Amino acid sequence: MGTISSALSLVDSALNADQAALDVVANNVANASNTTYTRQVPNWEENQPIYLNGVAYGAGVTMTGGVSQRDNVLDQRLQQQTQSSSSASALLTALNTIQSSFPVASGSGTSGDIGTDITSFFNSFTQLESNPSSNPLRQQVLSSAATLAGDISSVATSLNQQTASLDQSASTVASQVNSLTTSLAQVNLQIQALSPNQDAGTLEDQRQSDLTKLSQLIGFNQIRTENNGLSIATTAGQLLVSEGASVQITTGTVNGVTHFFAGGTDITSALASGGGQIGGLLTARDQNIPAALTSLDQLAYGISTQINTVNNAGTDLAGNNGNAGDIFNAPAQVAGSAEAMVVVMTNPDNIAAAGLGKGVGDDSNAVAAASLATSTIIGGETPSNFYSNLVSTVGDSVSSATNENTALNASVTQLQSQVSALSGVNLDEEASNMQQFQRSYQAASQAFTILNTIMAAAINMGVETAVS
Amino acid sequence: MRVDPFYIVNLSGALDQTQSTQQQLTNEISSGLGVNTIGQNPVAAAQNVQLLNEIQTEDSFTQTSSLSQGMLQVADSALGSVVTQLNQAISLATQGTNGTLNSSDLKSISNQIAGIRDEVISLANTSYQGQYLFSGSQTGSIPFSLNSGTSPATVTYNGDSNVSVLQTPSGQSIQLNLPGNQVFSSPSGDVLGALNNLVADFASGNGNGAPTDLANLNTALNFLDQQRVTLDNSISRLTDASSAATAESTQLLNVQTNLMQADIPAVSTQLSLTESQQTALINVIAALGSGSLFDKL
Repeated sequence: MGTISSALSLVDSALNADQAALDVVANNVANASNTTYTRQVPNWEENQPIYLNGVAYGAGVTMTGGVSQRDNVLDQRLQQQTQSSSSASALLTALNTIQSSFPVASGSGTSGDIGTDITSFFNSFTQLESNPSSNPLRQQVLSSAATLAGDISSVATSLNQQTASLDQSASTVASQVNSLTTSLAQVNLQIQALSPNQDAGTLEDQRQSDLTKLSQLIGFNQIRTENNGLSIATTAGQLLVSEGASVQITTGTVNGVTHFFAGGTDITSALASGGGQIGGLLTARDQNIPAALTSLDQLAYGISTQINTVNNAGTDLAGNNGNAGDIFNAPAQVAGSAEAMVVVMTNPDNIAAAGLGKGVGDDSNAVAAASLATSTIIGGETPSNFYSNLVSTVGDSVSSATNENTALNASVTQLQSQVSALSGVNLDEEASNMQQFQRSYQAASQAFTILNTIMAAAINMGVETAVS
Repeated sequence: MRVDPFYIVNLSGALDQTQSTQQQLTNEISSGLGVNTIGQNPVAAAQNVQLLNEIQTEDSFTQTSSLSQGMLQVADSALGSVVTQLNQAISLATQGTNGTLNSSDLKSISNQIAGIRDEVISLANTSYQGQYLFSGSQTGSIPFSLNSGTSPATVTYNGDSNVSVLQTPSGQSIQLNLPGNQVFSSPSGDVLGALNNLVADFASGNGNGAPTDLANLNTALNFLDQQRVTLDNSISRLTDASSAATAESTQLLNVQTNLMQADIPAVSTQLSLTESQQTALINVIAALGSGSLFDKL
């Protein structure tokens, strides 16, 4: 049989539970703009009923705390997509810088465009054919050669500088990764100690926030371990965090660029394809820039050596037969010849326009030099077509990176939206919850007042004025 | 289903998107180019490199060929004058060989032919912009010099037999010069030798040997005319090649313009659409951001 005091204690539990629920609402509202916060909902538990003579009497309610609303699978999907997306975005930024070295020529007046330079250079030999001993025409050959060499060399220099700056950024990212993995290892320990069997709430928020940050930096896989622990390995399988222990990524210089090591293994190429910012940076540094540089080197090497050979196979104005000298500095090897390309000839008289042993008015060697423009001298292509292919390769990589980036961004936005829908704080919902808990609290208070009156009546045994 | 409480924040991402589209479209309008970076349209950018290469090569050839045409025309008109002079020499020599003239008349004919010879030598030494036209590749040295010490006088050729060519963008080679030893002192038609012999024949006062030398001069004149045809051919081929290059360059320029130019009406329309979209988006954000259930509590 129920008593008045049992009813009072029941009301008491309701008031406490409502207050605790209002606390949860207040906490949600307080964190409404906190992107790493996961919305909590009050968890109500009915108290064990009391059985008296086979009749169950309710014992009220307890609020056992807020439960974080998260979906681990969804969170992981978002993190994985973030890894791909930040890799694509870092790559795109790098490629955009590369493509600025290859401007679109709008007409013959465009400066800094290697394609125009190549054409002007070979055209200057055609013009020399009309008057092989003309000094102005010879000067023009040297000046267009200098423009060509200068532009090729400056593009190569800027690509090399970009390699250096990407290198530096990648190292910075690696050190950020290290501090995040250290922090993750600590959070893992705390979670394992405090909340081995259930969602760790705020601590889990912190862990997820670290994982989200880590996703932007590097590609990784996560494995749940016992007691709510977590292990993290790079996409290639190199362990970074094993529950409470973290493995630091170390750096070392190999062939002039920074390489990354984890546990003594060189993981550089695995990182490049793994995702995250570091993936994009390393892809640009180790694949796109070297590819463009190699093509430029081939172009510079091909033009320099072929033109030098032709110039040394004719007769110049000074009477040198077959030893008129080099126009461009002679590259020893293909690698590095773009950056080193420079005009070494200073005297325009040394341009060997005439065929070997022929007089100053002969132009057969100038014809030979001019016809290099239409000969397949570089990788089976004419110089101009070779450059055109280079432009198309660089352009293609920018264009596909742009598309990939847009697509990945869209999917990240979508996943983010799904995560926010589940875990974000909706103020309207909180307002209505608060209203509900407030009403419930008011109702319990009302019940208390009435019970109080009843209790007074019981104490006074019908004499209503003694106790009120 | 629950909704994303942050969707208004996400709308600002869409706002960024419209802004960047606006920027790109404005760029296209201001530069007039539909392709501003190679990543925007790699295929067009690569084609553009090749087209510009061809256009610039054609343009440059047109300039070069006008220089060469000038030179060829000077050479041709020099040869034209030589022909006139030789015809005069032939008529003088014909007079000299008809057997009616006395020795002093013959000497006067000799002097006149000597004058013609000097004129022909000076025409053979014609230069254009400081370059001797008939000395093969030795354009820096005077091709012909006369030695009057002997009888008959002799002419020395200081040039060589090299022929220069100009290559057209389509790859054909056009001959740019005639070596002097081929035009004026070739074994098949030795103009200067025949003139010198005639001078010596008539200078002796009897005109012996003049008929043979006159016949030789006639042969030489015919041979020179043939040589001149080569030059005329070069001029007309060069003119053709040059106008072909100009026409092709114009055509390629059209192709290049079509490839690279921004479609201004289309871009403007897109721009105004994007602007409306942006305004709409801003209004939506402003309207949605202002309400919450908490206002009603």
